[in-house]
Amino acid sequence: MITDCCRLKMDLTFLQTLERERVLEVLRRDQQLRTIEEDRIRRMKHDLQELRRRGAKSFSRQYGERTCARCQRPLGKLWNSGAVCRGCSHRICSRCRVGAEDWKCTVCHAYRDVKFRSGEWFLEERAKKFPCTTDKYEMVGDKLLTTYSVFSHISVVPPTPPPYLLSDYAFLSRHGDLKNSKPFTKSMEDLMDSFTSHIKKISTSQNDVRGDLLSVDNDQRDSKLSTQKSLSETDISKSSRLFKGPSLPNLFKKSKDSDQEGSSTGAEEETSCGSEYSGGKRGSSCSILSTDCLLESVSMDGELELALSYSSDSSCLEITVGCCRNLSHGDAKKKKCHPYVKLCMLPGKSGKMKTTVKKNMTNPVYNEVFKFPIERHLLLGKRLQASVWHSGTLRRKVFLGEALFPLDGWRFEDKTSQSFNWYPLCHKASEGSAVERHGGEVLLRVKFSSSEQREVMQLSSFKSLQEKDTRRQII
Amino acid sequence: MTDGDYDYLIKLLALGDSGVGKTTFLYRYTDNKFNPKFITTVGIDFREKRVVYTAANPNATTTGKTFKVHLQLWDTAGQERFRSLTTAFFRDAMGFLLMFDLTSQQSFLNVRNWMSQLQANAYCENPDIVLIGNKADLADQREVQEKQAKELADKYGIPYFETSAATGAEVDKAVITLLDLVMKRMEQCVDKPPADPANGNGATKLSDEQPNEKKCAC
Repeated sequence: MITDCCRLKMDLTFLQTLERERVLEVLRRDQQLRTIEEDRIRRMKHDLQELRRRGAKSFSRQYGERTCARCQRPLGKLWNSGAVCRGCSHRICSRCRVGAEDWKCTVCHAYRDVKFRSGEWFLEERAKKFPCTTDKYEMVGDKLLTTYSVFSHISVVPPTPPPYLLSDYAFLSRHGDLKNSKPFTKSMEDLMDSFTSHIKKISTSQNDVRGDLLSVDNDQRDSKLSTQKSLSETDISKSSRLFKGPSLPNLFKKSKDSDQEGSSTGAEEETSCGSEYSGGKRGSSCSILSTDCLLESVSMDGELELALSYSSDSSCLEITVGCCRNLSHGDAKKKKCHPYVKLCMLPGKSGKMKTTVKKNMTNPVYNEVFKFPIERHLLLGKRLQASVWHSGTLRRKVFLGEALFPLDGWRFEDKTSQSFNWYPLCHKASEGSAVERHGGEVLLRVKFSSSEQREVMQLSSFKSLQEKDTRRQII
Repeated sequence: MTDGDYDYLIKLLALGDSGVGKTTFLYRYTDNKFNPKFITTVGIDFREKRVVYTAANPNATTTGKTFKVHLQLWDTAGQERFRSLTTAFFRDAMGFLLMFDLTSQQSFLNVRNWMSQLQANAYCENPDIVLIGNKADLADQREVQEKQAKELADKYGIPYFETSAATGAEVDKAVITLLDLVMKRMEQCVDKPPADPANGNGATKLSDEQPNEKKCAC
């Protein structure tokens, strides 16, 4: 990974400025395509999850041998006794099978189908050959783009480098006694100097100078300011190279985090596919996937009807909240629900907007229009979070579910997405801003055999909570 | 073109020496046009095309169905100086159009090198490749004989096509053949370990998790 980063960095620096722009342009185009693709996969996996849920509505414990695992129809002892699916080992009636000889149950078949259509097969194959890569979903183009944008970001707006870096690498390693003699700010400037110049390809000639200076530096560094300057530059450029390796992955992660704000559950359950997610990337699709396993334990249900459009004239994102249906009771004891919808732009949680509270309704109708002034191009990377809350007594709020809308991949021109659509409400991972930063770090792989669906589902949600906590502590 | 209304996103990549006609080949394929000018590709580029694919494999579940396939056709620079960049992209492609110039013996000889590059950098050891001899219309300048090229292709066990981006001959066929190979590969990959993902994996994972749960209950 680290060596990879370095190699890729090289790949861009050897290009001339114009060429680099060309390449980055291509990479951006690729990114657009990938966004659409990710969106498509998310929808696909969501559909699959729906199918699975319908197939296994084992709310009641009476999930017996003698019913079809998919349609719950009773199976006879002799006639229509069902057969065991090779995919999931469930007893399946003849109606819920796909294929003739080598049949699979509907759910297993759908899993297989999704594996094709999402390109999962390819990623799995690739992961076999390159097992060292940490992120299975990583694409070279994406990586390059991220790497480069990280660098260009640094060269334009110098971020404050962490102090340990200076002490650890630049001073301690080479000349620890220098620490006091050199002002901190100065060295920071040097660092930035060296950083920017490093990005703009420090020529090899400097490397030559470097060797000389290093030999000089031990005895008489205070005498020549100019020497010191270039010396520090070389040293730090060395150090910068040192830290670039390990820190880059973090930067990747950061940008990924912001990609998937609020979707950090990551408690993925991939039943029959058995594919392993490596957190990251598909974060939001994971959250949708994860919802269902949590759904059944906390009974989060319901759907939200919403329309999104963008008005170029007023540069406003227009969000129309239509209604909700099948919401779960916010106050389960009293069977009451006073729901309202909260809209929020992620990342940053800017532009919070709320609908009115509807009293005593699980199918509230709002039809409220919200306008969010934002330039079109700023929608890139933004997500709209629509959460439904129960407004309880004494201002206690109960979370009823949320839906996330990635806005950069949103097809505003598309008539179908402009009109009202129903979106299932998902479970939110954890509260508040904690979600935002740790999104990418939650690496959970929860699997369960569908033959013991009930138990393991609970287990999965349980585990996810636990793991999340531990992770957070680690971070 | 840029909506998610398709069933598969298949990523193919064209590679080969500089000037063999990768860019014009892809341009012919996607836009059905020919640009005789030589504009060297800077690093990488890609073109897209939506095609309808009809599954014609023996598998009962998918036979006869048609799918919308979105092709992302990566175009790579043949020039040596872009090599490190272009080979990095081999990793993300599902199939390869390995091209040489029928009027250049050298480009044909380099096919071997490209093959080894592929083996090292592609997603698996034996990815789906189609060997393409381009510029078939320039019969009088021909340096590589069909037999020669066919032999090499057979050696690698890959299909061979003689195409012409100028006339459009065999261009579609070459790409579709590759697409077909990739689609078949896909099925193989998923079906090769039968019932493994659902059964075996799931079960082992389950046993992994149970002790965990006990731990936290304590």
